Parts: sequence; C-alpha cells; structure tokens
Amino acid sequence: MAGLAPQVDYLAGFCCPLGGLAAGKPRVLCLGAEIFLSTGSELVYVYDQEAGLLTAVYRFPGQVWHLELLALRRALYVLCAHRGIYCLSLDQAIRSVSQDDGDDGDSEDSQDGESPSRVIPVDPDACVLHDATLCTFTVLDNLLITLAQGPARWKVQLFECPCPGEDPRLKGQIGEVELSTPPAGSPREPAAPYFLPVLCCMSPPGSRVAHSHLHGSRGFTLEETLFGLLFGTDASLLESPVILCGLPDGQLCCVVLQTLVTSGLAPGDSKALVKILHHLEEPIVFIGALRTEPLAEDVEDSHSDCLVALGHHGRTLAVKASWDEAGNLVPELREYCLPGPVLCAACGGGGRMYHSTPSDLCVVDLARGGTPWDPMQPDRGPGGLPSLLCPASLSVCSVVTLSVSSRAPEGGTELLALSAKGRLMTCRLDLNSETPSPTRVTAANTGRKIKELLSGIGTVSERVSFLKKAVDQRNKALTCLNEAMNVSCALLSSREGPRPISCTTTTTWSRLQLQDMLTATCLLENSSDFSLDRGWALCIQVLTSSQALELDSASSAVTYTIPVDRLGPGSRREVTLPLGPGEDGMLDLPVTVSCALFYSLREVVGGALTPSDCSKDPSLDMCPLDVLPEQEGICLPLSEHTVDMLQCLRFPSLATPHMQAPSLLSPVSDPVDTFLGACLGPGSKLAGPASLRATYLPPSVAAIKVSAELLRATVGDSYSGVSLCCATLQWLLAENAAVDIVRARALSSVQGVAPDGTDVHLIIREVAVTDLCPAGPLQAVEIQVESSSLANMCQAHHAIIGRMQRMVVEQAARGSSPPDLRMQYLHQIQANHEMLLREVQTLRDRLCTEDEGHSCATAEKLLQLYRQLRSPSLLLL
Amino acid sequence: RSHETPLGSSTPHASCLDLWRQRNDQLVRQAKVAQGLSLRRQQLAQDALEGFRELLHCLQGLPAAVPVLPLELTVICNFITLRASLAQGFTEDQAQGIQQGLERVLETQEQLEPRLECGLSALWDSVLHSSSLLPELLPALHHLALQALLFSGDDHLDLTFLSGASEDLLLLLKTWNLPAEESDAPLTIQDARGLRDVLLTASAYRQGLQELITGRLSRALSSLHEAASGLCPQPVLVQVYTALGTCLSKMGNPQRALLYLLSALKGGSTWGPALLEASRLYRQLGNTAAELESLELLVEALSITHGSEAPQLLIEVELLLPRPEPASPLYCGTQSQAKYLLASRCLQTGRAEDAAEHYLDLLALLLDGSEPKISPPPCPTGPCMPEVFLEAAAALIRAGRAQDALTVCEELLSRMSSLLPKMPQPWGNARKGTKESPHCPPWVSATHLLRGQAWVQLGAQKEAISEFSRCLELLFRATPTDKEQGPASNCEQGCTSDVALQQLRAAALISRGLGWVTSGQDTKALQDFLLSVQMCPGNQDASFHLLQTLRRLDRRDEAIAFWRRLEAQTKLPQENATWSLPLYLETCLSWIRPHDRETLLEEFQTSLLEPCDL
Repeated sequence: MAGLAPQVDYLAGFCCPLGGLAAGKPRVLCLGAEIFLSTGSELVYVYDQEAGLLTAVYRFPGQVWHLELLALRRALYVLCAHRGIYCLSLDQAIRSVSQDDGDDGDSEDSQDGESPSRVIPVDPDACVLHDATLCTFTVLDNLLITLAQGPARWKVQLFECPCPGEDPRLKGQIGEVELSTPPAGSPREPAAPYFLPVLCCMSPPGSRVAHSHLHGSRGFTLEETLFGLLFGTDASLLESPVILCGLPDGQLCCVVLQTLVTSGLAPGDSKALVKILHHLEEPIVFIGALRTEPLAEDVEDSHSDCLVALGHHGRTLAVKASWDEAGNLVPELREYCLPGPVLCAACGGGGRMYHSTPSDLCVVDLARGGTPWDPMQPDRGPGGLPSLLCPASLSVCSVVTLSVSSRAPEGGTELLALSAKGRLMTCRLDLNSETPSPTRVTAANTGRKIKELLSGIGTVSERVSFLKKAVDQRNKALTCLNEAMNVSCALLSSREGPRPISCTTTTTWSRLQLQDMLTATCLLENSSDFSLDRGWALCIQVLTSSQALELDSASSAVTYTIPVDRLGPGSRREVTLPLGPGEDGMLDLPVTVSCALFYSLREVVGGALTPSDCSKDPSLDMCPLDVLPEQEGICLPLSEHTVDMLQCLRFPSLATPHMQAPSLLSPVSDPVDTFLGACLGPGSKLAGPASLRATYLPPSVAAIKVSAELLRATVGDSYSGVSLCCATLQWLLAENAAVDIVRARALSSVQGVAPDGTDVHLIIREVAVTDLCPAGPLQAVEIQVESSSLANMCQAHHAIIGRMQRMVVEQAARGSSPPDLRMQYLHQIQANHEMLLREVQTLRDRLCTEDEGHSCATAEKLLQLYRQLRSPSLLLL
Repeated sequence: RSHETPLGSSTPHASCLDLWRQRNDQLVRQAKVAQGLSLRRQQLAQDALEGFRELLHCLQGLPAAVPVLPLELTVICNFITLRASLAQGFTEDQAQGIQQGLERVLETQEQLEPRLECGLSALWDSVLHSSSLLPELLPALHHLALQALLFSGDDHLDLTFLSGASEDLLLLLKTWNLPAEESDAPLTIQDARGLRDVLLTASAYRQGLQELITGRLSRALSSLHEAASGLCPQPVLVQVYTALGTCLSKMGNPQRALLYLLSALKGGSTWGPALLEASRLYRQLGNTAAELESLELLVEALSITHGSEAPQLLIEVELLLPRPEPASPLYCGTQSQAKYLLASRCLQTGRAEDAAEHYLDLLALLLDGSEPKISPPPCPTGPCMPEVFLEAAAALIRAGRAQDALTVCEELLSRMSSLLPKMPQPWGNARKGTKESPHCPPWVSATHLLRGQAWVQLGAQKEAISEFSRCLELLFRATPTDKEQGPASNCEQGCTSDVALQQLRAAALISRGLGWVTSGQDTKALQDFLLSVQMCPGNQDASFHLLQTLRRLDRRDEAIAFWRRLEAQTKLPQENATWSLPLYLETCLSWIRPHDRETLLEEFQTSLLEPCDL
C-alpha cells in the first residue's frame, strides 16, 4: 500500500455550492497542458497547467452537464442542460482570452475561480444543436452521438459534425434509434434527472475511427476478439464503432454505429439495432475498457481486452473474451461488488481502474495480479478475470470527477481530479512502487518535497474533517436513540398509576373568525426524568363518529403532528386544535381525540446513515434508509378522549349578563344571516327550515330512569347538600364549562344550545317506579332529553347512556347488590326491546338495498322504531 | 382619447385585454417572420414560444372570464401550433394545455366539478354545449378541437357531436362547418380552415396507407384519391402517387400503376420509393432490363442527400404522417440496401459481370474508410455481412474473375480471423486428448467452397481439392449443441438451417468429386459422389454424376440399378423449388449441375440398357 500513496498537487480551487459539488455533472478533461473543467454550474473553466493559471471562463445559458473535446478539430463541445450542445473552437477561445489578458492583470489569482471581468458569455450562435431533452452526448471523429430523453423512450441520435471552416452548425441528423426502455420519471417533467445516462464509444482495432481517436476521453479501442463477441460478426466485419449506453435503470445496451445511419428521418427498428448486453440493476455511472493482459513485445499500441461498467452502488461488470474447453469463443462475464456509492471512475493503464466514493478514492487491478500467463497452467485459460477485486485506498476523498491525464509520467499514472470542495488536483501514482532513495537532497528537491508534504497535509485534513463530521453525526444519533429508548421504557413500563408522560384533553368553545369553534386543548406534561428531544412529535388523531363507522377510518381521520421541540423534565406543552363545526356547520359527535407520541427514526438516524452531506448525492437520501424498519418510527399511545354532546352544550340562558351577547349567535350562522337578522330586529325570525321545524313540530324526547341508589353511590359525597337531581345534573355536565353555574344555582333542569344552534333541554326529576319491585315503589331519577332536532336529541341521549354505562361498570366492580326485582316485568321489557331491535335490523338491511323512493318510507319507519325503543324509558338500577 | 370610456372602472380591464391582445398579435408576427432555418430565426421562434407561454401564464393567472376567453383560447392555439412545429411532434403537455383551456371555459359556466372524472370527450361535449351560449367563443373552440384531433390520433377523441352522427373521421372533417371568424379576432399563426385542410389530407393519406397495408385495396384507392385531390404539398403528393401506384399494381393494373409512379417521379425530389416500386412492378411484368435500370436509378437517387428544407412554423401534413416503417410500401431503405438489391438481382438474372461490379461497389461503400461518410449495411432486412462477401465472391467467379474472388474470400477470412475458434489448443488437447472440435460458423466452410471453385476456374485442381477438403472437414465437425452461445447474429442461424447445411455438404462433395474426375482419379470421385447421394438423397445432381462415373468405370450393374432408382425419382414431383437457399449457395449449385439431364438420361438408356437386352 505504501507504493500507492499518491503525490497530490492542488492546482486551483473553484467556486462550489454550499454542501459541495454533486457528482454526476462535473467534468474535467485535459488536452496537453490545458485543462477544461465544469463544476455543474453554468461556467466552463480553462486552466493552463504549465502556467498554473486560469486562462478563460465561459458562461453558458444553463447548467453544463457534459464536456467533450474533439482534439483533432480543436473543438470543445458542451452540453448545456435544457438548451442543447454548444461548440467552441479552442483556437478562437485562446485568442479571445489573450485579448482579454491585456485588460486585467489578476491572472495569478486563480483561487478565486472567476473574477467577473474574465467571464466570457457564450454567443447563442455557438449552439450547434437545439434540443432541450438531451441528457448526454459523445463525439467520435466526425460524428456526434446524443442520447435524449424522448417522450416515451431514450433516443440515440447521430449527427455529422461539420469540418473545420464550415458552418459550425450540425449538418442534420443521419441516424436515430429508440432504446427499448422508457426513462424513469414522468416525461412531463424533464427536470434535472438524478443520474445522467452514460455513453461510451468502442471501436474495433481496424476502424479508421480508432486511429484518429487515440487519446479520446470516452472512446476506447477493443481487441477484435472481445469486440466481435460482444457486438456480433457484422459489427466486426464492418469495423464499425459501437455506442454503449449505460442507463440510469441499470441497462447496458449497444448500438452498432454504422447500422444506425438511416435514410431520411426514419428511425431504426430498435429491436434489430439495439442489443442489451447486461442489466446492472443500479444506475450505471461509468463505462470503460482496460488492458489486462501483458502486452506482447512486438505490439505497439495496446487495445483494451476487458470491458467494465460500474453501477452507482458499486456493482461492477467486467467482460473479457475467452475460449471454452471446446475452443469456442465465449465471453467471460463477472460481477464484482466494490464499495459504493461510486461518484465517478476512470480507467488507467495496466488494468487499473480508479473509482471514487465520498470517503475514498480507490484503485482496483483487473489484471491477474501481475503474474504472466503460464501456458503450463491449464486451469487458467487466457483472459481469466480475477475472482475477487481488492480496492486499494489512495486516501483522497470526495472526488466528483476524474480523468486520466495524457501527460502520464514514466511508469506511472497521473489523474486529474476535482474534489467536492471544488479543488482541482493531480494525483501522481508511481505504480512501480519503488520508493526513491532519499540520499541526494538538492535544494530544488527539498522545495518539491515540501510542496508535496503540504499537499499531503491538505488531503489528509480534508479527509479528517469529513470523517470527523461523520463520527459526530453518528454519536449524536446514538445519544438521541438512547434517550428515546429511556422514554419508551418509562412510558411502557408504567401501565398502572400515573404515567410519567401524560396528555390530557379538554374542550372549550371559542370564537375564531366570526365563527364559534369547539376547540380541544391537549396538555402534554412531562413528569419523567428524561427530556423529549429532537425527533419526538405529538400526534393527535381526531376521529368523528361518522368517520368511525366507515371501514377505513384510519384514512379519513385527521391527524395533527406537532413536533415536540425539547420538552425537559417537569415542563408542559399545550396544543389547541379546532374540532368543528366544519364548513357545513355540522359537528359529528362524539369525536374521539387520541394522542400519541411518535419518534421518527428517519429524522434522527437518517442523517447519520448517509455519509457526509446528502446534497452530494441525491440518491443517498433514500438508499441507506432502506435498512430502517417499515414504519420508520416508534409510536407510544398516550391517551384517548371522547368529546360528546354533553361537553359541547352551551348554556346562553345561564350566562352572566355581560357575557350573554356574543354567545347568543348561532355558532355557525352565516354573517349575512346574522346581519339580516340584526336588521330585521328582534322578534322577526327568519323562516329557515330548522326554525320552522322548531316552531311547529313537537320536540323529540327521550328519557332514562336510573335508580336513586345507584346514582347516589356514584355521585357520592361530593354533591352533599344538594338534591339528588341537582347532583345528577352536575355529574352529567362535569366536563362542561357551565358546571360551575349549574352548581351555583343548584339547577335540576337546564336549557342548552347544541353546536348546530338548536335547543337541547335536560330535565331531571325524581320519580318512583312502582311496578318493578315487589318490595314497593323504587326511588329513581328520570333524565329527560328534549330537542327540536332529532339528531341532537340522539347525540345527547347517546352521551348520557355512555356515562351511565361507565357508572354501571364501576358500580358492578364495587359489588353493590341490586334490589329485589320483579323479573317478569324486566323480561317483558327486554323481550319487547329485542323484537324491536330485530325489526330495526331488517329495516336497516332493506335500507341498503332499496332505491331512493322506497328508502324514504323505510327511513321514516325506522325512526319510529327507534322512538319506540327509547319510549319505555330505559331503566337502570 | 376623447372616446375613452366614461365608465372608469372598466377602463383598466379593457386596456389590459388590449395589451394582451397586442402582445399576442406581435408574437404571431414574430413567429411568421421567423420561418426559416437559420439559427437566429430559430432563436426568434423559440423566443416567440416563450412569449406565448408567458402570456398564457398571465391570462390563466386570473379567474376565467368570458370576455378574455376568446383571446386565451387563441393564445393556447398559437402556443400549440408553434410548439408542435418547433418540436416536430406532439407531446403530452400540449394536450394538457388544451384540457386546461376547456376547464377554464367550464369554470365560467360553473360546471367544472362533476366533469373532472369524465374523459376528454365528455369534457368537449359539455364545453361545446355550454359554449353554444357563448357564441363569441366558438371560433377559437373549433380551432382548439381541431388541434385536439392532432393528439388523439383517431381513436381517443370522439368529436362526432360536432358534425352529427358520422363516425368516419374523414367525413367528420369534410363536413365540419367552421364558424366564421370575426375580422377583429386576435391573430393566429395558422387559421382553423388551413388546419382542417391539413388534417383532412393527412388523415385520408394515413387511412389509405393503412388500408393498403392491410390489403383492403379498393378502399385504399378511394382514400388515396381523396388525399391527392386535397390540399397537398408537393412532397406529400409524391408519396400519395407512389402509394397509388403500389395500390394499383397490387390490384393488377400495372399500366395505370406505372402512370402514377411516373407522375410521382416527375413531381418531386424524393424518388426512392417510386423507383423501388417501379422495379417491383417491372419484375412482376418480367421486364428485367427496366427493373435493373430502375434499381440503378434508385441507388443513384439514394446517394443524393438533400438537406432538409426549412420547416414552416405551421402544423403541416408532413408532421402528421407516420415515419415509414420497413413494412410500409413507402420504405425504400438506404443506398447500400438498394445497391445490394441491384447486385443480387443481377446475379439472379445471370448478369454476372454487372453483379460482380455492383457487389464490389457495395463492399467498397460499406468498408472503405477513406470517405468520411459511413453507410449502413443491408442488415437487418437484408443478409448479414458474411453473406454479402460470399455472394460477391460467387458473382466474381461467375464473371470469370477468379483471382478477385479469392481476394474477397481472403478478406473475409482475415477480418474474421480473431473470431474463429482456435484449432490448436495447448491446454485443451493436453488434458483430454481427443474431444469434440469447436464449432465453426457455416459461412467459413462456404468461403472455402467458393475458394475451391475459384481455383477450379484457375485450373489449379490441387488447390481446389484441398480447399474442398478443408470445407468438408469444417462441415463434418460436430454441430454445436448450444446455439445460444455468444451473440450469434441472425444470419448465422439462417445459414444453419438443416436444408442449407445439407446442400452445402452435397455441393462440397460434388465439387471435390468433380475435381477428382478432372484429375483422373475416378474411384475417389465415385466415393465422394456416393457420399453426397447418401448425404442428400433429394439432390439429383449427385446421382447424375455418380451415374456418369459408374459408366466410365464400366460398373454396369450398379449403374443400371442406380439408373432405375433415379428414373423413378425423376417421375416424382420436384421439391427443389420450395427450398430457399442462400444466393451464393444457389449460384454454386448451378455450376456443378450436369448440363443436359434429359439427353444424359436418354444416352444412358441407349448405352446401358441396350447391351443388356442383347
């Protein structure tokens, strides 16, 4: 590993957005001493490596996604997102800059990246191809190959580049084919894709293109054998270059360039022209080729004999040609797993491939460990790929784009890299791994040495800061998790007695925006020893009775999620939320308010699982989080509270005079109605249907009888000194704000207003039930509910019954014995009720199946039955 | 200024509407100026498109109002026209733009809610019903409806309610009564009437083409006539005439078909489809000279690349036509495909010299790297590249240019050398000794066969026999069990059809046998002929050669027995016609066929049977 320690030189720093550069779009290319660089912004920089200064900065009208150099024509092609491809002549570029140089003397100041005076806006005429859907392109000799995101499918198009001196505009499309797979995402929104597809040209050795394209950045020359195997007889007979497309969905497909040329604009048949070589099942970020076999002595130029493709998560495909036992040519195909996520990669000499992850730059050796092939070892035919790849670290982190420099030192490799922080650097690798003897130290040597050391320190410090950040994040996440664990344990272990963290719900009426609103106030109280920190949220689910009846009640319930931001021990937080009535003026009672604490694992742990800043790689936001459990958090139920009619009743008649005026308004009255009502003056009532009904129909009535003994036991001592009726009323309205007035005036009957504005009358009186008990008349209390609105009467009745049920259950637990009863009478009542219930059931069934006309009558009958059910008023003993 | 409205409140509204209108009119004028190909003008058109988009945003940012709606709908129409003509196609978002426009109309009628779930047709239905109350909207709405037809193809959108009960799109378009546009209406890039005519022509043509492909010829004819009689730009007219020619020739009216093809050729600059169709027609008529001449012209026509003309910034007929697929009668392929067709027809019709020249041209076209232009191979519709080489070699031999044929074969083998199986296997043989040999593509054997034939022509019997032996050696190797191995191109499967392989073996055996005969080694020849008869009993050539050799060797009894069998066979119906063999193999087989079978048979009868009767 010592031999792999690279010698890193920082060349220049460039502006980068907060959070660093994202991988995928920055590019760096070099031609001689010139380095062309884009960071994914609108700018393209030209940097002179020898002079050590920035020579030009071009501003394009959109984000730059891709750069290609056509060295022979001295042209730079630039893909500008959502615009098209621009072509800059390099000679012209240099000229325009040298003119520029006279004006400003800050050429040394390359650290700034761009001083505004140097930025040359690119002429719109330089656009050689207008196409907003282009995603990537590549150039090959005189051809330009583009990959565009068509409405339904990826589309490969072929254009002829003009010769130098001609009109720089492309001469027109000479071929087109659609790939079989649709691009991911909606076609309607061709916004910046997460991953751009990758194109790569592979030429056979005989191709004229191969000769003229020796130091292309993306083109490779493949050995005939591998070429023929991969792309077929025709491609190798024609000696036609092949375009490889690596798509974000993981597909690796190829198109023989010469078959792509079609007459006119007729697209080629994609089935015949496009061949899918492999599916990597993760976005392909790099395609390249390598020479893995040692070169024979007499061969001058080496052709690659191994095709590689890298997926984003590190899955790597390598293909070589080999012969099977019978002597037939077969492709040898291997998949490896390298550490991901891969930001970028490059193929170097000697079978080495470099790939960068956020934490490291690694090199893998696809040659067979450097041992020459031994013909006496029959087990390994020629072209055997290693069974395992061992990445060796180069200790440079967050490199977002790489390119192998053409100015490689003897026996080594020089990489040009751009780090996420926007630093351009060269990494010189001496692959011979011979440490030079440090004996003769000259002054120049020392200077260079110091410079090397300084750059080394720079690299290490960048790496350290990155690693430190990651560790910090993880520690913080662990602390949070620990606290969450404590809280959960405390809550779950204390089933009995007061809970360390509690939530109580109360309801009040308040006026919001001209409308009276029933609001629930949830009070979260932390009496435990732990604090509720980041990641905790209070979830309040509001479920109305009509929603509860529907099958998918969970989906129709309204859930409020309120983040609990640091609730220390002993502190409390109050949350108020409106319950209704809604826009229709109706409030479906009862309403159930359930509170729960939710702890979001995603929020707390998510950050720590994604290494470094997420902005660097959008896909990281989702991928590592897959390890989290499905529900993504912990849910601890706290309390459940039911809001019924008795809690919602308002008593304007009881109100003290100075409070009376506002509450007289109907809670949901239309302001216009109110206004009109006010104009018409008192006494002239609006003839709405509700008021008509109230005036002319007898109110609905229901009554419940409860034995006085039972009530007394429940009401207990707290209401001593008042009559049982008053005590019962107070007990019923215990959760209502008006209870104090009721208590103060010792009322036994009260007139309230329901949420929808109709009256509800509660009357409580003592009665004697004679025919039930053989021992004589039984003391009982009758609770009578009266309302002009049937719905309100029902809701109030339901609320009272609910309380009674709870009371009976409590009393039964205490073990009080009922008095002696006349059973036959009770049986009679029960039988009656059962028969009525059966009838109700059949009617309700019929209601479901009948059409509108009949159902009205049925509903009418049903209501009658319900009334009958209630009428021999329920008796509780 | 004096007539500025006294109603102060409506002034800003009216002037705003006027401003928007002026903006629309200005953009329309800009787009009309921008017709052309130059980059500046393209930029201008692009800017106009952006302008329309912004204007639309402005208009749709406000609640829909009836006075503004005609302008808004017109802007939508203009935007779609420009967008479609710039992008040369229709996209989903344009259709959505239309839908949004419709919803805005309904918004003013307060009918929006229940319509949302219904399909587009229902939306149109309700819009047009409600707009009958708003006559000022009608022109723009009809324009929009025409544009909606562009997106729907002809199956999604049911606009029959516009014109009564007609189901037929053509009839619908023809009877579509467009409301008259008012003179003061906002400007449009393309007016509704023009768009309707374009749609009418395009759909008539499409329908005709579809019917032509599916074989409903008389209906195709009437649709195509309809298209030709409509408003039809010249290039489209050429296509229509070609399709008419195809249709008529299929209906058995070659003379009328030729007339149409001729007018297609006179009409325009795209001669390809018409020439190809003419060559088919001449072939059908048996006029080989004319057929080959049209093919030659076709090759020439396809070599001319005429630059694409400046597209108009309108929705034109061309935009609505499908791109020709290989199945379409208007698909004429590429230059190399035409060249191949010409070369192979020459070879088939026995014009060997021409064929050889054309094949050499084709190979040069495909392989010569000196030209910057590249040309696609005849694949995938034609044969694969090795077959082109083999046919070229066969044509050269036939034309008496054996040396050239050898060069072509050499070229083929050298280009493929890296893909051939490795014969000596140091690691394989050392371990297992004898084992099955590697599979070799059949066309490699065929190359050796043709090389042998070339040597025969050059009079070098020894070399010829060794080539035939090499061919046989490769052929009799074990056939591969797994055909899936490697990315074999489709032609290799074609060559490996059992019949072709059998015939190839027979051809090689007969050829070698003939070689032995020439060098006087009759017994060896006999062996090969016998083998070939066994190998391929259907091939009568082998039997004839065998018979002749037997007679020469004076093996009378065997000869008689064999002759009787052969005679019985000749009485059976011949099956050879049904085989479809590769052209090079067919050519090769024709060389080794005994010339005059009937006379030979008679000769046998007299020379063999008479002495027997004595």
